[in-house]
Amino acid sequence: MALLEVKDLAIAVAVGGQLVPVVHGVSFTVEAGKTLGIVGESGCGKSLTSLAIMGLLEGSQVRITSGSILFDGQDMLTLPAERRRAIMGADMAMIFQEPMTSLNPVYRVGEQIAESILQHRKVSKAQARERAIELLRLVRIPDPEGRVDSFPHQLSGGMRQRVMIAMALACDPKLLIADEPTTALDVTVQARILDLLKELQDETGMAIMLISHDLGVIAETCDDVAVMYWGKIIETAPADELFSTMAHPYTRGLMASIPVSDREVERLEAIPSRVPMLGEKLDGCAFHPRCGRARPICSDIDPVAIAVSPSHFARCHFPGEDQA
Amino acid sequence: MATIGLIWLCLVLFAAVAAPLIVPFDPLDIDPVNRLAEPGWPHLFGTDHYGRDTFSRSLYGARMTMFIGVGSVVFALATGGLIGMLSAYFIRLGNFLMRGIDVLMAFPALLLALVLMTLLERSVTNTIIVIGIVYATTTARILFGMTLKLKREVFIDAAICSGAGHSSILFRHILPNLISPLLVQASFIFAFAQLQAAALDFLGLGLPPEVPSWGNMLSESRIYVTRAPWLLIFPGLLIILSVFSMNMVGDAMRDSMDPRFKDDIAGV
Repeated sequence: MALLEVKDLAIAVAVGGQLVPVVHGVSFTVEAGKTLGIVGESGCGKSLTSLAIMGLLEGSQVRITSGSILFDGQDMLTLPAERRRAIMGADMAMIFQEPMTSLNPVYRVGEQIAESILQHRKVSKAQARERAIELLRLVRIPDPEGRVDSFPHQLSGGMRQRVMIAMALACDPKLLIADEPTTALDVTVQARILDLLKELQDETGMAIMLISHDLGVIAETCDDVAVMYWGKIIETAPADELFSTMAHPYTRGLMASIPVSDREVERLEAIPSRVPMLGEKLDGCAFHPRCGRARPICSDIDPVAIAVSPSHFARCHFPGEDQA
Repeated sequence: MATIGLIWLCLVLFAAVAAPLIVPFDPLDIDPVNRLAEPGWPHLFGTDHYGRDTFSRSLYGARMTMFIGVGSVVFALATGGLIGMLSAYFIRLGNFLMRGIDVLMAFPALLLALVLMTLLERSVTNTIIVIGIVYATTTARILFGMTLKLKREVFIDAAICSGAGHSSILFRHILPNLISPLLVQASFIFAFAQLQAAALDFLGLGLPPEVPSWGNMLSESRIYVTRAPWLLIFPGLLIILSVFSMNMVGDAMRDSMDPRFKDDIAGV
């Protein structure tokens, strides 16, 4: 059984009394100990999906309109708050995009890590502090005994993200959701944080759901990849398969728009036009207005997921056509 | 300025604590022979129309001042703070509670205090409660706004993700971030409570008349002002100096807690 199984999850935003759908029924699974990468451009619904899994949409304008989120066989959407809180932070943890704001400025980092330990484990304050130091060492923070008493503003961005990771790992989660964990960091730090996540995964055996708009990050870290576009998953495949044979024209467009340093190019490829507006009515495939290989059927019928190989699916009427 | 203010407040605090030990006369002792005596020896600040020693009454007044100040601050921050935080956190409840606060805020502070005081008996506790209610409204308003902003912070999401419940989020994650505005608010309420209490006393609606407070002393002195101006001058000066000091200390506290002012202070 998969560790996390999201089925037909649909999310809508309430705007002026109307529900505007933003995520149109996504389904995916994260296997224990594996890394799933979700990639897509801003506004495609990848962050909303992760927030929905963590139950962070409550009290906002955003509603989950249908679907289920099964974690370890339990539906997170119907679980009573009490039971859900017991899972969150213990079996399932999350790290965020902005390491600058995701730590409480008035607490020392050790206290914050200890706090999430004390939330779930019956240990003494001193034991929690010991564990916090141990976790800081685990995330390769130099001088953990000294750093445990630092305030967040005394640490650099990369360090803070390490503290966030330490906090998330406090209770040995089975699943770590990382929402753009390296986007706010500079490139050298990014690589180190990704390496760290990989190493920690090898050590602890946790599964990671990594959300990113950066195909490079995804390629480096993930076992499986799901590409999202306009609230739908348009292509899923194991990472190596996806990067060798991209079936969906959007995925290929994304790939072509990445600058490559070892090759001289006149112009960077860009996907023409823009992402459809939220709530815009579209017939057929959501990508057809921007697609180079669109045919009449594309504007009429929304394609279903077609198997390119047993493990590789693409929502395209003509997957893998005109491969370069 | 803040240092001078702080020194003055320490003096007032000392007077308040030590009043029973250092007063030369019993503040309630009536001495018809020496009524309306001019300042001098042994009556440093003179005597009032009953011959009570103004200096001793002023020292006891400091006691009342501190008592009312601390009481109002505690009451206002506890009720106002709780209302503001809960309103922002549970926004449905907030829509209801904050409209009530809006109604209270529609009254001028003194008018609201007057209305409430007429409903209640004159006593020290009731004065504290009434002044506390008046300033709870502004506290609620300030904390409402700040909590609204704080609860959208990523570290609150992170706390929810770590499995924290409502009370833990409110009191362990949000409240510590509100300490500095609360302290600044406290200092201003402390100062305004003095003025408010003095005004209520002066209008005869505050503390019971026999209680030696600066406001009561002012109130009683007004008919004798031409014959015994010291009865007006001493309590008046004490009120002015104390409120001024509290404001200075409050300003300094706000500046030192707001990082944006840090450089300005260093430059002075």
